[in-house]
Amino acid sequence: MVARPGRAAPSGSGADTHCPYCALQCGMSLTPAPPEVPDGGASPRVVVAPREFPTNKGGLCQKGWTSASLLGASDRLTVPLVRDRAVDAAGAVTRGELRPATWDEALGRVVRGITAIQAESGRDAVAVFGGGGLTNEKAYALGKLARTVLRTANIDYNGRFCMASAAAGANRAFGADRGLPFPLADLAGADAVLLLGSNLAETMPPAVQHLAGVRERAGLVVVDPRRTATAALTGAGEAGGAAGAPSQGLHLQPVPGTDLVVLLALLHVVWAEGLADEEYLAARVSGVDDVRRAVAAWWPERAETVCGISADELRRVARLLAAASPARGGRGAYVLTGRGVEQSTQGTATVTAAIDLALALGLPGRTGSGYGAITGQGNGQGGREHGQKADQLPGYRTIGDPAARAHVAGVWGVDPASLPGPGRPAVELLRSLGTPRGPRALLVHGSNVLVSAPNATYVAERLDALDLLVVCDLVPSETALRADVVLPVTQWAEEEGTMTSLEGRVIRRRRAVTPPVGVRSELWVFAELARRLGSTVPFPLDPAEVFDELARASAGGVADYSGLSHARLDADEAAGGPGLFWPVPAVSPAGGEAHPGTPRLFLDRFRTPDGRARMVAVDHVGPSDDVRPDAPVYLVTGRVLQHYQSGAQTRRVPELDRSVPGPSVEMHPILGFRLGIQDGDPVRLTSARGEVRAPARWSDKIRPDTVFMPFHWSGAGSVNRITTDATDPVSGMPEFKVCAVAVAPDPASEVIA
Amino acid sequence: MRLRPFRVVVVGNGMVGSRFAADLLAVAGPDGTHRARPLRVTVLGDEVHEPYNRVLLSEVVAGRADVGALTLPSTGDERAEVHRGATAIAIDRGSRTVLTSDGAFPYDAVVLATGSAARVPDVPGLDPGPGGTLPAGVHALRSLDDAREIVAASTHARRAVVIGAGVLGLEVACGLARRGLAVTVVHGGASPMDRQLGPDAGLAASRTLADLGITVRTGVRTREVVVHGVGDRGAVATGIVLVPDVGRSPRDAGAPGARGGGGSGAPDLTGEGDEIPADLLVLACGTVPEATLARTAGLTVDRGVVVGHGLASPDDPDVHAIGDCAQPPEGGTGLVAQGWDQSRRLAALLAERLSDATSHADAPAPARAARRVRLTDDARPSMALRIALDVGRSAGDLPGPAPRETRPRATAPTDRPPPPAAPTDVVRLKAAGLDVVAMGVCGARRAHDPSHRTLRLTDPDAGRHVEVVVAGGYLVGATVVGAPQVGADLTATYTRRIPVPADPAHLLLRPVAQAAAPASDPTHMPDRTTVCRCNGVTKGDVVASWREGARSTADIARATRATTGCGGCQDVVCGLADWLRTTDPEQPVPASSSVLEPASVQG
Repeated sequence: MVARPGRAAPSGSGADTHCPYCALQCGMSLTPAPPEVPDGGASPRVVVAPREFPTNKGGLCQKGWTSASLLGASDRLTVPLVRDRAVDAAGAVTRGELRPATWDEALGRVVRGITAIQAESGRDAVAVFGGGGLTNEKAYALGKLARTVLRTANIDYNGRFCMASAAAGANRAFGADRGLPFPLADLAGADAVLLLGSNLAETMPPAVQHLAGVRERAGLVVVDPRRTATAALTGAGEAGGAAGAPSQGLHLQPVPGTDLVVLLALLHVVWAEGLADEEYLAARVSGVDDVRRAVAAWWPERAETVCGISADELRRVARLLAAASPARGGRGAYVLTGRGVEQSTQGTATVTAAIDLALALGLPGRTGSGYGAITGQGNGQGGREHGQKADQLPGYRTIGDPAARAHVAGVWGVDPASLPGPGRPAVELLRSLGTPRGPRALLVHGSNVLVSAPNATYVAERLDALDLLVVCDLVPSETALRADVVLPVTQWAEEEGTMTSLEGRVIRRRRAVTPPVGVRSELWVFAELARRLGSTVPFPLDPAEVFDELARASAGGVADYSGLSHARLDADEAAGGPGLFWPVPAVSPAGGEAHPGTPRLFLDRFRTPDGRARMVAVDHVGPSDDVRPDAPVYLVTGRVLQHYQSGAQTRRVPELDRSVPGPSVEMHPILGFRLGIQDGDPVRLTSARGEVRAPARWSDKIRPDTVFMPFHWSGAGSVNRITTDATDPVSGMPEFKVCAVAVAPDPASEVIA
Repeated sequence: MRLRPFRVVVVGNGMVGSRFAADLLAVAGPDGTHRARPLRVTVLGDEVHEPYNRVLLSEVVAGRADVGALTLPSTGDERAEVHRGATAIAIDRGSRTVLTSDGAFPYDAVVLATGSAARVPDVPGLDPGPGGTLPAGVHALRSLDDAREIVAASTHARRAVVIGAGVLGLEVACGLARRGLAVTVVHGGASPMDRQLGPDAGLAASRTLADLGITVRTGVRTREVVVHGVGDRGAVATGIVLVPDVGRSPRDAGAPGARGGGGSGAPDLTGEGDEIPADLLVLACGTVPEATLARTAGLTVDRGVVVGHGLASPDDPDVHAIGDCAQPPEGGTGLVAQGWDQSRRLAALLAERLSDATSHADAPAPARAARRVRLTDDARPSMALRIALDVGRSAGDLPGPAPRETRPRATAPTDRPPPPAAPTDVVRLKAAGLDVVAMGVCGARRAHDPSHRTLRLTDPDAGRHVEVVVAGGYLVGATVVGAPQVGADLTATYTRRIPVPADPAHLLLRPVAQAAAPASDPTHMPDRTTVCRCNGVTKGDVVASWREGARSTADIARATRATTGCGGCQDVVCGLADWLRTTDPEQPVPASSSVLEPASVQG
């Protein structure tokens, strides 16, 4: 595929852009479909072709290849919908069906609702829920809308479900949170990569290319309770072994919820065997002694009795990582975490232990080594930098910091005192909806909480208790279908903007097609709401202009974009430049050259006040909902390659839907035998919160004490109906990844079938 | 009103004492919370060291752990003061004061965590000299100083004898062997670790010990320690004299461990003793709870300080004992897991007392912790079984199939439902080269129970033995030698009370993973085998693309998208193309090229 960098084509004639889904943001080119291509019903509008880009190196997975289908989704929303409510004499509310409406009517309804509710119950009675898929411009404008027009403290976003623990851990340790503080391609040179709770071979397949080098050197270590496609990359655990394929690493298959113990044991071995990089620790790290003492209690044999990984295996991994560390002459080592370990009530602690391990080995802040969190959502990185998080202002600033408030208020032209304080984090926010002191109205952007939030049945109850639910979406998602007002908005290939990839690289999303008639950009919706609510705060409509404002608002912040503009990003790409990673301050370091961006953070110092990374001692508590005699099986949740997040997009792509049409319960045959469940049998999983049903899928790739379900579907097989909404005390992130269930055959389904 | 602080004196600054101080301070919360009395904690430790991980002393001896890695957290909380090198001399229960040589520490509650001492066998040569010192060359292993002395001695010693083949004895033996010493372990029981290992498991362990170059002598008694020189300066141990232990069956005959030993594979040891020379002698003969303080304070002491379920002495509710010095109703296991569990429980109980002291009447009593399992059985049946049955019964009391949470739970860990106590009786040997784990019902001397079903896989020649005991659908005991991952899996099953498989034989081995279809043989690869996972392309899809005219990997990629994701299937697709070329060379090529367009254009 010939690379055509930086082709910002005029609207309607195609463009070089990026995939609409995950944070890898694979480069792709969209060109108008040749007329000779037969129209398969859903009108084909553009052709997807992969494009050379450092994260995907020309590769695309099935989701990317088929992404153009989204543009022709048969149930695409193109007209606003409104639901009427009737109140009878007794005060009982009857909710009608959603019906088409004009933009004027729909927005009028929203504005009247907001005005009335805020007048009665205060500004915080209107809440906002954003998403990690929104462009930087939209995320920024949404935060600005909440803080300057609605003036509500209650704004948070679905990134709280994904990145909050990694962010909390990295901020505490390094003073900055950029998922990967180094380019992804750096992994290629390492001797060891420890991957905890990430199934990137399934969630972002082209990324696997960056592991080729470490696999050749047998240095890939994957920690996962399942032998996932990613774990299989280690070559470990494949039966027979007769093929004689050389090992490419190790797979540790711990008891769900005990990854932290694995890390504590690795730390223990590092110190017990004298493998720590003491020189680096002395020069660049504080808090070392606390951590050294804390892990003295986690010798490998004790860890084994908790996490189920044999002591010698733990020692082997610690030695492998140490041998790869620069202090011991290795090419470098990386410790990477994903949602598998972060979506836990001890997620921040686990991330902290992963960082502690990386620090003990002297990895962060060194070229060719480091710690990173693998961001999931398309703009999961940028989405957490520009002010849609409950406690944040643009530039990754803290909303409680007076200087930050003054700076941002200056850019917005408002009084700093008028900005609200920190609001409730996502799970707490959702729980509080429609409660006596909680919000009465909710605006949802780029999120489908009915499928993606934990304890989803309860979330549905909360949404129904609202007086006004407004959802902006492309398709009638499960959440949209429950709304009072649905606003049809533009998507991906219909809009301009920027995204920030998992590496902190700021990239351009470009428009390739004209949006359907009737569909508006959320930027327009925000401006319109502001105007109708009587605000004088300006809300530009041009994404480039919004970006310029965002850049000013971020100036001096941790995530400083002030040296960037759409024009500079386009020029860099057109010139085949190396890409621009934040921070990119407007003020150049020396001379007249523009700041080149920061591909690798922390090389000289960490972003903490004293420049040293902070080790923090943590301990293992265990899952909030642990196995017990009436729920003796662990449930872990995750993803499949063919679907993205709540599936609102990918379930509408016929090819993906055909490949994986619905959920299943992955279970070991040994568990199946015990429960009398054959492969394909209908199964019922019951947790303390409810039950779900799906067919069993036998697999020997999972522990016999654990079942796995992907979460991309709604209805009876929607696993988030039974996941727990217990949250991490530091990050507020829910424990999606582990809870206790009873597993039983589901004869009821059999009868129906 | 300022409340007088609630004073807790902890005697012992070891693994359990130091942990308890931290647990109590954590669970009590900062002063002033819940209208509780302020808390003051005093820790008295007789060693001058900071608290350290005693469990790892054998690792230090083995050279597998750096001494610096043993130091445990020491509380920095300003509500606590820690006195090191402060030996408690007496508890004056009248004045509620603990006395040291230079101080008196008043208490509202005193917690004994004095641990245990090494047992020194009563044999000639080990008579305590002046000041209770052992002869030169003889060491117990109970303190950091002991470990350092053994390490120092091992650099000059060539032959070591370890008396006692229990957990510590074997760890030390393996550790010294790792340092290159010729090691003999002598043991009174019929097989090593016989408290945890039955005869077959012992045989497997003996085999591995022999492979490590360690001589094991079982069924023997140390008649004397040979000491040359006399007096407190010159007494040096040079070996031991063994005699058959008439009280036990000399089952070791023919055991692999006897191979190449001190010249006595046969149990012919009558009459003359058998002298084993040694320049380093380590005593690993068990421990004796340190209960002197309690005894002199007039409290009931049996093997250890007797305490009830609330970990308080039956004679004085303000005196508690935890860890190795305590004798709880279920018996002490000598394992730190039990001590840490007691620490957590006692911290919770005392924290309750803190708030009860001020707010008994008006505040609703905090939800009591889950009913403590009653552990009264002298025969020590498996802890897991008892807990499982107990919890099972309590769940059965509730209407409906499963208890439901109707409200979302608060996030604070303390608000979580207290988890039922996990079993703490898992014994995991730490010895380089010898993997042993035993739990619950195990050991040579366990009583027969007709409700137990025992399955064994015994493979002594490979040093492997796996034994599981199942009752009521649960794993109630297991013994694993030489199968570390199976041991780890069984431990997880045991401690979490996971129901066992329909056929418990599945517990004996790791399930065999399904063989992946070998890519080198496309003929036998089923059509539905996924070739390219990134794009969901099967072998059938590749073959179909060939039939429709694709002739190269690039053609196949264009037609099916195989290889266009992570590229990991490149070799397989090349292989399929080669195979198709040889087996299917004459397929007609369709004229239309449009079918080679990627399916994505269907958008």
